[in-house]
Amino acid sequence: MSLRNLRPVVSAVPGASHLRIAVLAAVSVLMAPGSMTCGYTAELPIRIGAPLPLTGALSPEGVKLQQGYELWKDTVNATGGIAVGTVKRPIEIVYYDYQSATPKAVQLAEKLATDDKVDFMFSPFGSGASKAASTVSERYGIPTLAPTASSSEVYDQGYKNLFGTFTSNDTLSEPMADIVKAKAPNAKRVAILARNDLYPLALGQEFEKSSKKRGLEVVYFEKYAINTLDHASALTEIKAAKPDWIIATGYINDMILIRKQMADLGIKAQIVTMINAPAYQEFIDATGPLADNVTSATWWHPAVRYESKDAFGSSAKYTEMFQKKFNALPDFTNATGSSVGVVLQMAIEQAGSVDRDKVRETLAKGGFDTFFGPLSFNSVGQAVSYVPPVFQIQKGKPVVIYPDVIKGGELQLGVR
Amino acid sequence: MKRPPVMMIGFGLLALAIVALPFAATNYLLRLTTIGFMYVALASSWNIVGGFTGYPSFGTADFFGIGAYASGILRSSGAFPLPLSWLLGAAAATVFSLMVGPAILRLRGHYFAVASLVLAAVLREITNAATGLTGGGMGLNLPTTGTISVDAQARLYYASMLAAALIAVGVATLIWRSRWGWAMRCVEQNEDAATVLGVNTLATKIVAFAASAGTAGLVGAIYATWIGYIDPTDAFDDLLSVKPIVMAFIGGVGTIFGPVAGAIVFLVLEEFVWRNVLNFHAGILGIIIVALLIFMPGGLRNVARGIERFFTAGRTGHIDKVVPPAVPS
Amino acid sequence: MLYLQILINGILLGGLYACIAVGFSLVWGVLNVINILHGSFIVLGAYLAFFAYTGLGVHPYLFAPIAALPLFILGYAVQLVVINKVIEAPVLVTMTATFGLTLLLDNLMLVAFQANFRKVSLSPPLGIIDLSDTFPALDLIVPVDRLASMLFALLFVGLLYLLLRRTAVGRAIVAVRMDRYAATLMGVNTEKVFAVTFALGAALAGAAGALLSPIFPISPLAGTAYLGKAFVICVLGGLGSVSGALVGGLVLGILESFGALFFGPEHSLTLSFTVLILFLLVRPNGIMGKRGFV
Repeated sequence: MSLRNLRPVVSAVPGASHLRIAVLAAVSVLMAPGSMTCGYTAELPIRIGAPLPLTGALSPEGVKLQQGYELWKDTVNATGGIAVGTVKRPIEIVYYDYQSATPKAVQLAEKLATDDKVDFMFSPFGSGASKAASTVSERYGIPTLAPTASSSEVYDQGYKNLFGTFTSNDTLSEPMADIVKAKAPNAKRVAILARNDLYPLALGQEFEKSSKKRGLEVVYFEKYAINTLDHASALTEIKAAKPDWIIATGYINDMILIRKQMADLGIKAQIVTMINAPAYQEFIDATGPLADNVTSATWWHPAVRYESKDAFGSSAKYTEMFQKKFNALPDFTNATGSSVGVVLQMAIEQAGSVDRDKVRETLAKGGFDTFFGPLSFNSVGQAVSYVPPVFQIQKGKPVVIYPDVIKGGELQLGVR
Repeated sequence: MKRPPVMMIGFGLLALAIVALPFAATNYLLRLTTIGFMYVALASSWNIVGGFTGYPSFGTADFFGIGAYASGILRSSGAFPLPLSWLLGAAAATVFSLMVGPAILRLRGHYFAVASLVLAAVLREITNAATGLTGGGMGLNLPTTGTISVDAQARLYYASMLAAALIAVGVATLIWRSRWGWAMRCVEQNEDAATVLGVNTLATKIVAFAASAGTAGLVGAIYATWIGYIDPTDAFDDLLSVKPIVMAFIGGVGTIFGPVAGAIVFLVLEEFVWRNVLNFHAGILGIIIVALLIFMPGGLRNVARGIERFFTAGRTGHIDKVVPPAVPS
Repeated sequence: MLYLQILINGILLGGLYACIAVGFSLVWGVLNVINILHGSFIVLGAYLAFFAYTGLGVHPYLFAPIAALPLFILGYAVQLVVINKVIEAPVLVTMTATFGLTLLLDNLMLVAFQANFRKVSLSPPLGIIDLSDTFPALDLIVPVDRLASMLFALLFVGLLYLLLRRTAVGRAIVAVRMDRYAATLMGVNTEKVFAVTFALGAALAGAAGALLSPIFPISPLAGTAYLGKAFVICVLGGLGSVSGALVGGLVLGILESFGALFFGPEHSLTLSFTVLILFLLVRPNGIMGKRGFV
């Protein structure tokens, strides 16, 4: 069928459209945004740019990050703001929604830098977007805190302005592999199923490395496409390979589906590790009894016990305040959102100014005692100063099994 | 072709504004206008296949993405200067269209639409899988645009996108006025009759497809270097296929300047809507699309026709085609 | 044995796929409208089933026909208000229009339900049938919930078939699908048929969503995945026919399962879309061809 009915008049003088364009162009120029107004009459606020995926595929994580930011902001603003020298300046966070599209995140980072002229920035969600947006930060010299960038590839561009509060992916795989070696000595065969995406794949590769290092045999390592609806074939193959330790990486929906299909196919193994979904209550709710004995590792957990010199005072207090405000336990994404705020605040207070160079230097020095853990950064800006806890879901509740100082239980073998 | 003086002055002012903008405007406005040029180019590009030839293509994303990745990969190798990687990006997209075109252009209507839409999905998956070449799901980070200043970079991309838009509209105009354009219009009206007339419909469609591919690929190539990061979901985004269609609808499908006007109106609408509504913009875009298609299927051309008549009253050379009633196909 | 298990997986998946696609195929074949909304309708049905189960304790399989009802009404409304206005327009317009509607519906669901993935966890869980219990040589496992969903899906598809074959409304739909202008000449009220068909397609999507809710995680973002499958199945099996959807679904399910085994799971989507394009080029009327009317 053709567009016959909608065909326009063919004119020998298409000139009228020129006028239309001119008018439209003029209108668009005139619709340029007005100036930003400051919301505080007292002290000028410290403005932080935060592009977030508030809609689209990553919106659950975007919302969680925002909750973390907001809790920090409200807590600090209740005391008047961040202490810069002798004055207290309130915090203002400028949010934009990049709709889970990384190029848009980069554009918005640019906008925050050049038009909104923010003082500092928080990275968008995830390793990929953080890496992409860090170019903008470097270009404009804006110290940027990355709450969710764990893959070391994010930091390999030699930038000076990026600081991430997640330790690298191998800090998730190494302790887990140690535990497996220690507690399950006859576990020899490892199967890995990773999502074909920056972070889950990088994580899968770390697990492969950690397993091989300890003499375990990786009998299966495959990637699945994003948006896979059915994992039965991959899991059937895994079952045939008879692994003792199964590792799966991906996002929540993938993990829920994989766990369920594992049970559907009657797959049993001594240890099943899934990252990061078990850290979220949604995973436990959605999988019910199937969540039991699934192990995972995460950068922070309400069970950790850090005392801190930051706005919250301790991880226990943080958990309490989060619960009061949002009626739910904080997960690691909420916590890291607050952590970047806390670190930035401490750096500003220590530097005694919001001068970007001074703050950057102070950040690089590290040594921040936060509720999230002690935070210090390596030469490329990634956190290297704490050990992500390993935990296991036991009877529907997450129990920390490593490190020993905050252990709540022992590893239980056998997943049905 | 004589034009009324008012038109020439208006046109001149516009040209002046466009040239002066990079030196006078805020970064935000500069970025917005660059996106505007991108939209103009994409809408015009789609129009060649969808408007002139009447083939419902949902394939703009295919060409855009290929151009983006080709240019991205070339730039990442470090051996190609910007303009060359842009041209090669456009060339890659054109080659792709020449490979795929002869096959899927034999399909009509729905099947063609679905095929072009699904091609994007296939390309997305292939790109995801070819991790070594494209970075797969991790995306591709492009090297920065040399050592020129940030402001100069912004102006550079403004100018390049403007060039892409001019090229797209220029190609469309050239085609429109050529024998190919005539052949495309024949195909659009009634493909079988065109064949009877002796028009090589397949060749015509392939030319349209290739022209569309080259222009969209050029835009994709420039875009990749501008943003500095691409990944399969964004380079082959379905919205990239749908938005140019909507823009062409707004301005008038099948005209030269319809897509241009439509792109600008769409941009203004999108900015206005998006800036104010944080979490419902997709929904509002949906409402706008539906409202547009129901209430203004002809786009603004009705407005345009009025303005045209106003200026051309009494002139000759005004072709008004009589639209025959819809025949079941 | 591995292959046999994969085959079983494929068949179970295929039944589910058939249910996903049959409503989409009907609308495409009869109204000539590519209904991009279909995926979102499925998700909506899944949400309704989820809330019915967690809130009221109604089992999703029982809820499926109930879920069909509000979706029927929604489909009817959408058809009347939007689709009808553009139904004579070329595919470009209708496809873009339904695309716009999907943007709207997805956004509404996102705002209403949030994007976290929900899932119906049946308790007590239906468990699995381990064939090696009865036949020690067969080391095969059949998950009961997938089996049940598939059987119910086939039931709905069968009901649709009966509807199309035996009732006046159904025959009118088939007539319009065969030749809408001839049907008008025969006295069929095509406008009414369009509305009913679209509504029926939506209802089937809703029922499918309910049946899928214990199997796939639910989120407003899942719609496009279902839609993609529906596309492939329709082209594979042939438009507008129930048997086509069934055949297409089964073929796709088996193809994907074996494809993942031989080419790796990351290529399963590429495989299905490539098959789609091949079919479009070689045999656009699908496996069942034009003969597969009902």
